[in-house]
Formats: sequence, C-alpha cells, structure tokens
Amino acid sequence: MTRTTHLILCALGALALATVASGAASETGITSSQVLIGGTTPLSGPASAYQSVAKGAAAYFRYIDAKGGVNKRKIKYVYKDDAYDPSKTADKTRELVQQDKVFAIFNSLGTEQNLATRAYLNAIKVPQLFVASGATTFGKDYKQYPWTIGYQPNYRAEGTIYGRYVAKTSPKARIGVLYQNDDYGKDLLAGLRNGLAKKAKLIVSKQSYDVEDPDVQSQVAKLKAAKVSTLMLFATPKFAIQSYVYAHKLGWKPTVYVNAVSSAANIMGLATAGTNKKQTEGSLSIVFLKDPTDAHWAKDPGVKLYRSIMKKYNGGNPNDVYAVYGMSVAHTFVAALKKAGKNPTRAGIMKAATSLNVTNDPFLLPGIAVKTSSTDHFPLDQAKLQRYHNGHWVSFGGLFRVR
Amino acid sequence: MRRGLGIAVWALTAVAVLALYLLAPHLVSDFHSRDLAQAGVFFIAIVGLNILTGYTGQISLGHGALMAVGGYTTAALAVHEHWRDVWTIPLAGIAAGVVGFLIGLPALRLSGIYLALATFAFAVAMPSLLKKFSGLTGGGQGLRLLEQAPLQVTGLSGTVTVFGHSTTQNHFLYYLTWGIGLVAFVIAWLIVRGRLGRTFRAVRDSEVAAASVGIDLARTKTLAFAISGVYAGVAGALFAIQAEIVNPLSFTFLLSILLLVGAVVGGLGSLPGMVVGAFFVEYVPDLSTHVSSKPGVPDFIYGAAIILVMILLPTGAGGLLRRVARPLTTRLYLRP
Repeated sequence: MTRTTHLILCALGALALATVASGAASETGITSSQVLIGGTTPLSGPASAYQSVAKGAAAYFRYIDAKGGVNKRKIKYVYKDDAYDPSKTADKTRELVQQDKVFAIFNSLGTEQNLATRAYLNAIKVPQLFVASGATTFGKDYKQYPWTIGYQPNYRAEGTIYGRYVAKTSPKARIGVLYQNDDYGKDLLAGLRNGLAKKAKLIVSKQSYDVEDPDVQSQVAKLKAAKVSTLMLFATPKFAIQSYVYAHKLGWKPTVYVNAVSSAANIMGLATAGTNKKQTEGSLSIVFLKDPTDAHWAKDPGVKLYRSIMKKYNGGNPNDVYAVYGMSVAHTFVAALKKAGKNPTRAGIMKAATSLNVTNDPFLLPGIAVKTSSTDHFPLDQAKLQRYHNGHWVSFGGLFRVR
Repeated sequence: MRRGLGIAVWALTAVAVLALYLLAPHLVSDFHSRDLAQAGVFFIAIVGLNILTGYTGQISLGHGALMAVGGYTTAALAVHEHWRDVWTIPLAGIAAGVVGFLIGLPALRLSGIYLALATFAFAVAMPSLLKKFSGLTGGGQGLRLLEQAPLQVTGLSGTVTVFGHSTTQNHFLYYLTWGIGLVAFVIAWLIVRGRLGRTFRAVRDSEVAAASVGIDLARTKTLAFAISGVYAGVAGALFAIQAEIVNPLSFTFLLSILLLVGAVVGGLGSLPGMVVGAFFVEYVPDLSTHVSSKPGVPDFIYGAAIILVMILLPTGAGGLLRRVARPLTTRLYLRP
C-alpha cells in the first residue's frame, strides 16, 4: 500500500508541479486581491438540510471580506451541489480543482463524500481542509494523507464520552444502540465500547439501518423488546426523530443519548412536536458550539455577532445550529490563512492548519480551543455534556478532552 | 437517382457526426470534456433502456441497479483481481446482461405497471444488497479505485497515450465513452431496424397478435432485457472508470428514475433523440442549482423542467426531430 501510494504521489506530483508552474509566480487560486476556495455540500437531495453549514461559512467570509479580507485579499468561497452522492463529490471536486482552480478544498460535507476525494487531493497535493465529518480517519491517518485535516470532535471520541458517562452514572443500565450502517455509525459504536471499557457487556442490543431505508420502526421495536433502558441514537436527524416518534407510539421511554449530528435544537424541536415534552425530556448529547436558541447565550457577544452576520449576509433561519458550525469552521480557516503569511502557498496553509492554537473562536463554548500540531490533526477535541430540559439544551459538568 | 441522394444524405450525416465526435472536446475546456463523457454514460444506458421500453414496450425502473452491476464488476475486478480498468468493460456488460436476463423473467408473467413495480423493487434493494456483500463490494464505503487500485487506473498521471498519441485523461475519457457510445448506437440501430426490431415492436404493439404470428414472447422479452442489460452494464463500467469510485449511494433508485426520465425526454422509440435525453439528465440538475440554491428550489426547477418538456414535446426530442425531418425524408423515400 505504501509503495503504491508512493507511486501515485510521484505520478501525480509531476502533474501538480506542471499546474503550479503554469500559474506563474503566485500559488494557484491566489491573486493579489483574492483567495479562491471551494467545497461540496448537498444543495439538493435527501440530505439538503446540511447545506446551512456551507451557507453559514459563506456568510462569515462575506463579513470578513467587508472588513477588508485577510492581508487585503478577499476570500471567495464556491460551494457546489453533490446531492450527497460520493461519485458526484469526486466529480465536483475535480471541477473545483481543474476548472475553477481553487487554492484549497474547504469543509466539504460527509464521511463517504470526503473519503471519495481524499486519495485524489493528496495525490495532487491540494489541501483538503477541515472536512465536515467526524470520522476518525480524517484526523488519525495524517501520515498517509498529509493534505487532509478534520474539524469537529471525532465520532469515536463522542462515543467514548457517552460510554464513560453511562459507566459512571448508571452502571446497571441496559444499553441499546441504533446506528447507521457505515463508517460514521460504526465509529460511534466503537467509541461507546471504548468508553464503557469493562462494562461493554451492558450493551444488550445493537440495531443498524441503511441511509436509504425509509424508516427504523422495526429496529426501535426490537430495542424495546430487548428491555433497553438507555438508548444510543447514533443516527442522522431523520432517523433520530423517527426513533423518538416510534418509541412514543410504543409507550416506551428510555433515557436517550442522541449524537451531536442530530442534537441541534431545531431537530429536537421536531422530535418533541412529533411526540410530547416528556419523550424528549432528559435526553443527553454533547455540545461544542453555542446554541443560538439557548437563552443562556442571548447576551453573548459571539451569538450576537452570529445573529448580525446571519441577518446581513445570509438571510436564512438564525436558529439553525448548522450555520453556527459553518461560521466556526470559517473562523478557523481565516485564522489558518492569517498564519500562512502574506504569500500563502498550499504547503504553507497546511503547515498553518496543523499548528493552530485558536482560543478566541466566538462561536465555540468558552474554554474550547482549536488546537492542532504536526502530529495532531484533530482541531476540536473538547466538548461538554448537555441535557434536554423543558424544550432546551442545558450544558452541565466540565469540558471533556478525548482523543 | 433518389437512391443516390439518400445514400449521400446518410454519408454526410455520418461524416458530420464523426467530425463532431472528434472536435467536440476541443470546443470546450479540458474539464468540460469530462462532463461530456458523463453525458455519454447516460447516453449508452438510455439507448439500452429505449430498446427495452421504447421498442419492446417493457417498462423498467431497475436500470440504475443494472448500472450498479456493471460499475461494481469493473471496480471489483480492478481492486480484487488487478485488472486494468478499461479491459473490464466487456465483462461488466456481460454480467449486467445476465442479470438483465434474470430480472426479465418476471416480465413473462407481469406486464405494464406491475412489471415496472417488480423492476423498481430490484432498484430499491440494490444498495442494501451491495452493503450485504461487503467483502466484495466494500459495503457502505464502496470501492475507491484511486486509493485501492491506483495502478489499474488509466490516466493516473493526467495523460494517456493511445497508439502513440498523447492526450489528457479528460479527453481520453470523452473519446472512450462516446466512441463506445457511437458503436453502441449503431448496433442498436441495426437491431431495431432489422428482423429482431420488428419482433420487438410486434410484442410492444400487441402481445396477442405477436404470439399469433409465431413470435416466442418469452424469448423476445428476456432477450430485450438481456440486450438492455448489456448496455446498462457497459454504461456502469464507464461510470466507475470516470468517477474512480463506486458507492451504494450512487446507485439508488433515483438513478433508475433519472434514466427513464432521459429516455422519455429523448423520446421513446427514437434513437437519435437519446442524445438530447442524455444531455438533459446530465446538465439540467446542475443548471437548476445555478438558478437558485435555496433549499428545495433546485429539485423543484428540475421537476418543472420535466413537466414543461412533457407538455411541449409529448413525444420527446425524438418526436420533434421526426417532425422537423419529415418533409425531407418523405421526399427521399417516395418511390416514383
């Protein structure tokens, strides 16, 4: 594998050199007045709710541009529709690199989607920055893929936090897991086992579903039949909401741990609307972003800034936590770009992205830093636990740091 | 005299098509020739679907799954058996042809909407089937040629040398896909204008009448499914070669519906119209995200475009072509 990787690197390195050479003195995608970056997001299709991430990031870049940009360069961010189909991601990413000639790929969304382009981008040495997926591989396998770096707390770490908390607070729980049958779901499950450690046998039932499945009714029924008292929802929003609804229909009320992918306040609102307040009450999740719907942050300067940017440059729903995520990742890119100096190069931005220590991200919970090093490609690895109470998330306890 | 004129018109058309084939990638940017190559994949699949649905009258909502068979055959041979990607195309065609034959078997008992539902079930089941046999298919991750079989990918270095001519990978993919597309088109044309084509049309127009003149319905229908499957398989193989990745998410039932949309927009029962159908399927979804990317709007525009085409051109692009060309062709074919 290393030998073949080496071979592609050599073969395509030549191509990359040729591309760079034709771009004269400066780096591809960089002019004296602009930095061009691009990414993919599902603007259409079943996962199109996630597009708020890209739109939140775009709004933040417009805000930065209005303030004069970074080193007098404006950040132009193009995002293309991949409809959540990995083969389209591969195609659109090629378009961004070959046709639009972007400086770097930024925050493309989805686990399989980013896996589909990773080998290509690394072969031609185009940075694959801050991918919007918590799959552990994007941070862990940096030796093989030095041009790739993740962003959010990884799924394995998230699972570990839940596992440790259950083992500590309810050592007699009967744990049931609903997980998506892919890297994302399996990463969370592996983390959960890791966190439970010796208590891993508390898991009495594991049910999986496929993204294309219409619903998870039978899985929920099986979990109930296994007398599960603590339910782990390692599922995307649609299936998480369904799980609440079906559990409610069965008159079943386990303690629910819902993964961060589906714990946004608007998603929980839908789950509550589909059942009742009692069904979602007491659910647990992790949190690393400031929730704009949380009254606790109403006067927070970060959330105020977020709301003003949304109003001026986005126009979308200001209660969408995905947009906060987009702004946070855009903030991190701006920090990396500043660090890369007056004449950023692709190698330079990679170096900057892997030596970050950002402690002033206004969109993250206080105390959370964006920290990386040449051997640490996990920018965010801190989070808090939060509990759903009276229609709102309330965070509690201290910050966890898990790798 | 008129016969000579007819031959001249055909020869001119052939030369024009060939010239367009050779020149097209040079009229657009290098990257856009890759887009053209993708349209070529749809073209091949849709021509195959047209043989089955347009000429034989058997509706299939399962052609996306047949493309999956072709695409996964290519990817699995490259990754597990170290075949060079382009040499897997014939086998991918055969594999999907066999599967096509098998899903054609229910067609012997079912017809019309019931057959459509049976093939639809096949399309819906395909992603789960692909995940089930993860040893072969890579499960939910799929197979990534560039990562798992880089040495089997043609044009890895960005250029491809064919018979001493060096060309970019994107141009190579274009010439490969549309080259196969043209051959596939000619074969389809020979099939539908010959004896077999007449048999197909007889089955489409009336099964009872066809049977009463001695046509073996079972043989004809399964044969149409198998031929159509070969086309879908070849298209799937080219899809895998271009994307350098196969994943269950690329072969959901939406792909099957997209192909049927292409065949209907192109005009069922017309082969040249399939070019229009292929370009519709390739470009309209993209164009609709350019109009507006607000949530739901691209899907809406795409749907509206389909409805508009159906109202304005109920017989598809092929019907329009026929209407435009009729004054010319009737004069050509009128025997004195």
